[in-house]
Order: sequence, then structure tokens, then C-alpha cells
Amino acid sequence: MSLAAEAFVSQMAAAEPWPENATLYQPLREDQILLSDCASSLAVQAYLRMCGLPVRVCCRANAEYMSPSGKVPFIHVGNQVVSELGPIVQFTKAKGHSLSDGLDDVQRAEMKAYMELVNNMLLTAELYIQWCDDTTSSEITRPRYSSPYSWPLNHILAYQKQWEVRRKMNAIGWAGKTLEQVYEDVSQCCQALSQRLGTQPYFFNKQPTELDALVFGHLFTILTTRLTSDELSEKIKSYSNLLSFCRRIEQTYFEEQDRDGQSGTSQLSKGPSLI
Amino acid sequence: MAAPLQLYCWRGDHGLPSVDADCLTVLAYAKFAGAPLKVHKITNPWRSPTGILPALKTREEGSFSQPSKIIIQLRKQKYNADYDLSAKECADTLAFVSLLEEKLLPALIYTHWVDAKNYVDVTRRWYAENIPFPLNFLLPNRIHGRQLERLRLVRGDPTLEPGEQLEKELYHDALECMTLLSQRLGSQKFFFGDSPSSLDAYVFGHLAPLLKIKLPNGKLQQHLNSLDNLRQFCTNILVLYFPSESREAPAKKVSNHADGGDFDNEPHKRRNQILSVLFAVGAMLGYAFLSGIITIKHTPARLEEPHVDEEEEEED
Amino acid sequence: MGTVHARSMDPLPMHGRDLGVNPDDLEVVEAEQETKKEILENKDVVVQHVNIEGLGRTKEDYLGYEISDVFNAKNLIDVMKKSHEARQKLLRLGIFKEVEVLIDISEGDDALPNGLDVTFEVTELKRVTGSYNTMVGNNEGSMVLGIKLPNMFGRGEKLTFQFSYGTKETSYGLSFFKPQPGYYERNFTLNLYKVTGQFPWSSLKETDRGVSTELSFPLWMTDHTLKWEGVWRELGCLARSASFAVREESGHTLKSALSHAMVLDTRNSAILPRKGALLRINQELAGYTGGDASFLKEDFELQLNRPFLWGSVLSASLWGGMIFPVGGRPTSIADRFYLGGPTSVRGFGMYSIGPQNEGDYLGGEAYWASGLHLYTPLPFRSTRGGLADLFRTHFFLNAGNLCNLDYGEGPHAHLQKLAECIRWSYGAGIILRLGNIARLELNYCIPMGVQSGDRICDGVQFGAGIRFL
Repeated sequence: MSLAAEAFVSQMAAAEPWPENATLYQPLREDQILLSDCASSLAVQAYLRMCGLPVRVCCRANAEYMSPSGKVPFIHVGNQVVSELGPIVQFTKAKGHSLSDGLDDVQRAEMKAYMELVNNMLLTAELYIQWCDDTTSSEITRPRYSSPYSWPLNHILAYQKQWEVRRKMNAIGWAGKTLEQVYEDVSQCCQALSQRLGTQPYFFNKQPTELDALVFGHLFTILTTRLTSDELSEKIKSYSNLLSFCRRIEQTYFEEQDRDGQSGTSQLSKGPSLI
Repeated sequence: MAAPLQLYCWRGDHGLPSVDADCLTVLAYAKFAGAPLKVHKITNPWRSPTGILPALKTREEGSFSQPSKIIIQLRKQKYNADYDLSAKECADTLAFVSLLEEKLLPALIYTHWVDAKNYVDVTRRWYAENIPFPLNFLLPNRIHGRQLERLRLVRGDPTLEPGEQLEKELYHDALECMTLLSQRLGSQKFFFGDSPSSLDAYVFGHLAPLLKIKLPNGKLQQHLNSLDNLRQFCTNILVLYFPSESREAPAKKVSNHADGGDFDNEPHKRRNQILSVLFAVGAMLGYAFLSGIITIKHTPARLEEPHVDEEEEEED
Repeated sequence: MGTVHARSMDPLPMHGRDLGVNPDDLEVVEAEQETKKEILENKDVVVQHVNIEGLGRTKEDYLGYEISDVFNAKNLIDVMKKSHEARQKLLRLGIFKEVEVLIDISEGDDALPNGLDVTFEVTELKRVTGSYNTMVGNNEGSMVLGIKLPNMFGRGEKLTFQFSYGTKETSYGLSFFKPQPGYYERNFTLNLYKVTGQFPWSSLKETDRGVSTELSFPLWMTDHTLKWEGVWRELGCLARSASFAVREESGHTLKSALSHAMVLDTRNSAILPRKGALLRINQELAGYTGGDASFLKEDFELQLNRPFLWGSVLSASLWGGMIFPVGGRPTSIADRFYLGGPTSVRGFGMYSIGPQNEGDYLGGEAYWASGLHLYTPLPFRSTRGGLADLFRTHFFLNAGNLCNLDYGEGPHAHLQKLAECIRWSYGAGIILRLGNIARLELNYCIPMGVQSGDRICDGVQFGAGIRFL
């Protein structure tokens, strides 16, 4: 979005309240969605729930191509389409919903930095494991990614995507890494998150922020998704405060809200539960 | 100590120990950690053991090129600038380095390598002048292509076009990132108190080129200049750790202005104008002639046919 | 062009190259020969030998079918006529640059007194011909390379390859053509292509990569084409501001379709006809052979032309079509019908009639359109022929409608829907014929019956088209 357009959008957005029919689009939950997309989608859902903004989740096989940035998830609110967590946070802020208003400058800087840590290391590691590990890509990723398409398109698109991700890994210097090194990076990232979280309920004390939503989205998805090996989730399980952090957000924002009888608006969301 | 480590990096200019962000990061870290490196400042990446710069050559474990790997190697050799940091500060280092890589780096690539005016006037010019002959015709374009490709892949948009839209998006992120860094730094001398760490090296490596290399399109520079503490931070590191380079700076600037003189030289100007007009006319005529061969052959055949028929009809 | 001058007995070569067969010209030739019949004496002859000289890679058996008719000629006029026809046939094969005919008295031991030898002197096309073009459009440049291999294996096979490398898009097409020996109209084509289209009226960008095989054959007066096409379609938004309805259609789909086309064309010219009729019927069945799209599509075009007063021509045309989704899958934006524009319902914006979302036209599942034209030659022109012959003025009346169908309501409701809210327009303008394939129109239009959401083009409208209402 250009800055001018952004300014215009935020003006428009401020004028209109959050509509009831806001929709979040993601790939098909059962057959198609991949770990990294699922994590990003869950992060956005968690964020919107933390803000108390209702959103209906809609699964589309072509969600990736519908998105203006080519990345999932994206939300359709009024006649606006916004993709990815960062812009969505800005968008809700323009509508007067923000989780990070209570933070001071240094805290906000740290919050953004940790969000980039998650994107830079966890998300990249997820992509690496999905597409660059041969066992995972042939047994899970390619079949799932191509499930909505018929032959021969399924093979073409899956290999095209794999090729693109591998080139990206090449460009950012991850291509030379082994799977072990990637697990090590994940571990390092979790170590950093665990250190930052300490014994607090959320990263910045009592109130959740978009960072909490993002971390929850990724960790929870890794913990509840079955891959060819458990090693990735094992890395997270060794940090008990991160585990209880995930459990806490799940309980507060997913189970309780669903129990409160809003089953209509929260047609869910995330798959299996932690316990 | 027995095994001298060798570091290969781009030569410095504009008052910087090196013109490249990654090289600067590594050089700064080495200074902070007090690592006794044998530094080769070169302008031919083919002379580096890995083919790219920077590169650290160790005796036991071969050569490394990524800054993070080089820093890990230096750490292994007990040259650690992060020794005093707490676990939380280490976590912060990781987070802020990610912030730099995700938000600032794409804009830096854009401003140095993609923005047409900056690239042609400054970046390509520097590399073309400094890289030894025949490579200077080849390498700048190759680096340019690689950086554009990288930007495309990082943004996840294969059809990415350099333009106003992209520039705005990238600069928006970059300005925010600089502001966040400035807020995090506050009034401290370094990011974690009074002694520099690897995070300081990364921030210095990314910001110092912006501060020192004068670019025609300098939106990022303007913003950095408005953040006093960050500017001071970079200048401090330059003065404290690279005293020899910071003194050279003014001498270089003069040469940059020298080329302005060419335009005032009247006879040359006139001659060049005539030559360029002649060349343009020649090229146009040549093109018209070449493409004309194709069209002339086809069109008369089509258009004249009905004409001929009519005449024959009248004869009868 | 190519007329036989038979005033003397000297063998006269026929000159000229005609690759584009112009129906107007053929009439002229026939008329000329009728008159000459009386001048020449009717003398019985026997065609003893027919030779073809100048053959390189062309196989002789392939040409045998085309020239065999010359042997049946019984007198000199017949020989000339048949030779002329044979020459036309040879040229039509698209493998010779030039064909000249020599008719001479037979010589040699077995020569009969009234024996004739007919010799076709041919010049073959080069084995490979190439072309190179550059094109500059708005904000985009491209380079087009074309390679053609006519008569590849010596029996009329043709391989063409076109590659366009643009600043934004690349596209290519490879096509192999093979006619049945002796029956040129029966032919087989295999295509492999990638094309990119941008449709600003729908904010849609489409990239197609596909394979198709085509079988063409004449049947009585009609030409038929049977086709199978497998195409990988990639739809995307042209701009970020594209409507959500278009966004929903983005992504990759695979279409496998069988189609049949029938054409009956008795017009004397495809672009500015004076007389004759055209009937074209298309039907397409997608999904039966696989792929993601499944529908049945029917489409027809009818055009009638009659000469009218003072050299003017009256023309009426009717188009219509329907697409039926099969198997409950909705139709794709790329398969639906579009209407409006300077060569269909004039006075409306290009494809800007019917269902739309946030200003993007989504096309309809059924449509009809009709037109009534009066074409007149340019006023004040002195003689026939020349540049003025490429121009016509016309007065037109267009009407049409396009809508989606709700399949619960039955056929009567469909017809009712198409008859409601008819868009129509009238006006006048000038037409320029471009070769024998396209025409340019500059019209002054007055649109009527405009519905909300339609984009109109009130006043002067300019357009080019191959197909026109």
C-alpha cells in the first residue's frame, strides 16, 4: 500500500467501525494449509481475538492468489483487503483498536524487534523445513500444497513453489544450512523468546500485544502439527514457560470465547488443542 | 595468537573503513572484540577465498563469508564482544539484528543498488572505478542483478518493479526501523551500556554507509541525520575505532566535484553535440532501412493487387 | 493478377504471386474467360505429359493430386482453364513462392499430333524463413521473433514458431500443420502456446499455457473444426484496487475442453461483404475430459448481406450464446460472455455491459446481440478502385443484452430475463478495411437503454476488430 493510499485508507477506516461481516481467508484447513501459513493465520486470528474483533474464517483453495501480497492470511473488511499481520495491526490501529498503546518507546522498539525475530528465524525455519527438507517436502508439503489441483497442474505448481522458496533461501544465505543447523536456529530463537518472556504472563507484562499473538501463532502451530519428525516441536517443549504461555492464550482467547456462546462468529480457527 | 586470522573485505572510501555493510559489521566486531586480524582491503572479490566479500580465512576450519558465521568463528577463537551480556541482552541482540535484516536491509539494498540515480551516480561508479580492469565492466552489473533478485525473493514478489510504490513501502519500514533503534539506544553510548557488542557492530555496519556516502537521492540519510543519538553513535565508533579512516574523508570530496568542469568546456561541448546528433540520425536511418526491408517487400504486393485488376478489366 | 492471355498460341507464362486469394478478383477471371471462348477455335487436344520443374524437397506424389485434373482436358480452352486451376491449387498449398505454367506441343517419339505438354515451373519457399519485429505499447516494449518452416517434410507440413519477449511478459506459440495430401481443406493442427492477456474492464490478468489439437474438414458447403484444448490458466488481479469478485477468481485452473465449430460462409468478402451470408456455430464441452472447469457453451453468429440501392449494402446480424455450468461448479470469469464495444454493441464501453462488481465487469452466462447496417461507398469519389475502395460509410442500429441466469427458474424465465432491459444504440461512421482480416471503425454513437453499471461511450467511438456485429 502506498503511503498516500495508506493515509486515505486509515482515514476511511477510522470513519467506519469494525463490521460484523469481516472475513479472514486462508487455505483449506484439512487438506491444503501448510505449517507456515497455518501459523501466520493463527497469529492473525489470535490478534483479532485479543482486540475483541469478530472475524469469520473462510477457507479457499486459492487464498494465496487472492491475497494482494501473495501471502496468507488476509482479511476482507468492508471493501478493504489487508494481508499479513503487520499491515493488519496498522489497519486495526486506524480503526481505534490497538494492543500496544500502553507501551513506552523502548518497549515498542523491543516488541517490533522480537516480532522480526519470529519472522526472520521461526518463519524462515518453517519454510526451510517444509520445502528444503526432502522427506518433509515429498511426504507432506508438496502433496498438501497441490491437493486442490488436478494432474498435471499439481506437480507443476508444487515444484514451482519449491523452486521459489529454495531460491529465497539461497538469497538470504540459508541454502547452505543443514537441517540440524536450522533446528539449532529454532532453538536459539526459542531460547531468546523464553528469556524475554521470563515468568511474566505475556511478553510485556499483564496485557497481550501483537507480539504475543505472533509467537502464539507460530509456537502453537508447531506444537500441534505432525511432521515427519518431532524434532521441531521437541525444541519448543524444552522451554516450559513458552508452553504454558501457549496454553494460557489458548484458554483465554480461544476456549473461553468459544464457550461464551459466540460460536457463530468464531467458526474456528485453530485445529487441535494442546491438551 | 599463533594462527593469524585473515579477513578480506572491500576497500574503504568516503571516510569509511569499507564501503560494504557486511564488511563494516565484521570489521567493527573485530575491533570491539580486539581480534588481531590481518585485514586485506581489496577491490577484487575474485581474490577472496570464497569469491565474495567479506571473507574470513582461518587455518583450521576454512573460510567463511556470512557476517554471522564470521562472528561465530571469532567467538570460537575467544574474541567475544558479547561476553558481558546477560541472557536477556543476548536475546535482544538476536531480535534487533532480525529487525535490521528484515526492515532496514531491503531499503539499503534499494537505495544503493536499485534506485537508478544513486546506482548510476554513486554505487556503480565507485565499483567501476575501483574494481580492476576487465572485471569492472562485469562485476557491478552482476552485483546489481544479484541484489535486485534478492530484493524480489525477500519481498516474495517475482514481478517486483523498482518504482515509487516499492520505494515508499521499503522506506516506510526503514524509517520506522531507524526510529525504533534510536529509541532503543536512548542516551546510552552503546546499545548495552558503555561497551560495544555485536549488536553495535551490526547497527554501525548498516548505518555508517548511509551517514558517510553522499547519495543524490538521500531520504534515508535525511532521516538518519535527524536522529541525533544514532548519528552520534556512528560517528563515535568511527572516531574511536577507526581513527585513521575518519581523517581521510575531506580529501575525497574534492575529486567528486571535479567532473562538473567538463560541461563548461565550450568546444568539446559543441563537438560532442554534433557527434551525438549524427550518431542518433545514423542509428535511426539504419533502423528505418533495416526494418524497411521487411515491410517494403510485403505491403506493395497487398495494396497493388486490386489496382492491377481494374486496369485489365478496362482493357477488355 | 494471374490471368491467362490466350490470344496467341504461344505458351505464355502466368505472372505474379497471389497468396491472399481475393474473392473479388476471382470473379473477374471467370468473366474474362467466358468471352474468350468464342474467339478461339475448338480444337481437340490430348494432354500427354504434365511436368513440374523446380522441385527440391517437395515430394512429387503430394502434388499429383493437385495437377491430375489437367489430364482430363479435351480442348485448348479446357487445358488452360484446368492449368489455371491447378496453379491456383498449387499456390494455395503455401509451399511455393511462384508457379508458372508453360503449355507446349509434345515432342519426342511418342508425341501425338494433337498432344500437349503442360509444365509447371515452381519456385519453392525457403526451407526456413524468419522474421523479427519490435513493438512498443504503452509502458511496454517487446521483441517478436518468428520462425517458419514451410513444407518441412515435403508434403505440405508447416511448422511455425513465434516468440515474443517483452519487458513485462513473454509469450510463445509453436504450431504444426499437416494437410491431407490431395485434400488441402482437410488438415490437422497441433498448437503449443503461452499467451498473456490483460483485461482492464475486468481488472483481470490472464496467462494461458496450453496444448490444442485441431481437425478441420469441409462437409457439403460448411467447414467444420473439431478441437481438443488443454489449458492451464492463471488468473490474477491487474491492479491492487481490483474488486473482490475478481480477486475470488484468482489462481490456477486447468481446463480441458472439446469443441466443435461449424462455419457456412457464402459472403464475397469477409470484411466488407456485398452479398452472401455467414453462419457460425460454436459449441464447447469442458470438464468431460478432466480439468477444473466444467460447462457446456453454445454460441452462434449469423450475418446476412444484400446489395441495396446505388451500390449500398444492407446487412443484418444476430449473435447469441449461453453457457451452462455442469456439476454444480460455477463458471469462471474467463469463460463467460462479454458484450459491448466499438465492434459489438456500439456506444457502450469495451465489454462494459452487464453484471459488475466495484466497476469490474464479470461477464454473463447468456447474451444476444443484433445489428442492422446500411453500408454505402464514400460520397464524392470519382472512380471505382484505389484507396477509396478501402473505405465505407455506414449507419447502424445495434441492440443486445447480457445477463446471468438463475437455473432454478426454467427456460421461460431465462428468455424473459434476456428480453428485459435491452441495451441498444444507433449512429453512423466510417469504416476502413485493413487487408482482408480486420477493420477500423470511427463512429458517432448514441447509446440508449443504458442500465445502471454500464459504461457508455456517448459520441465518437473508435475501434478495431476482426469480428464485428
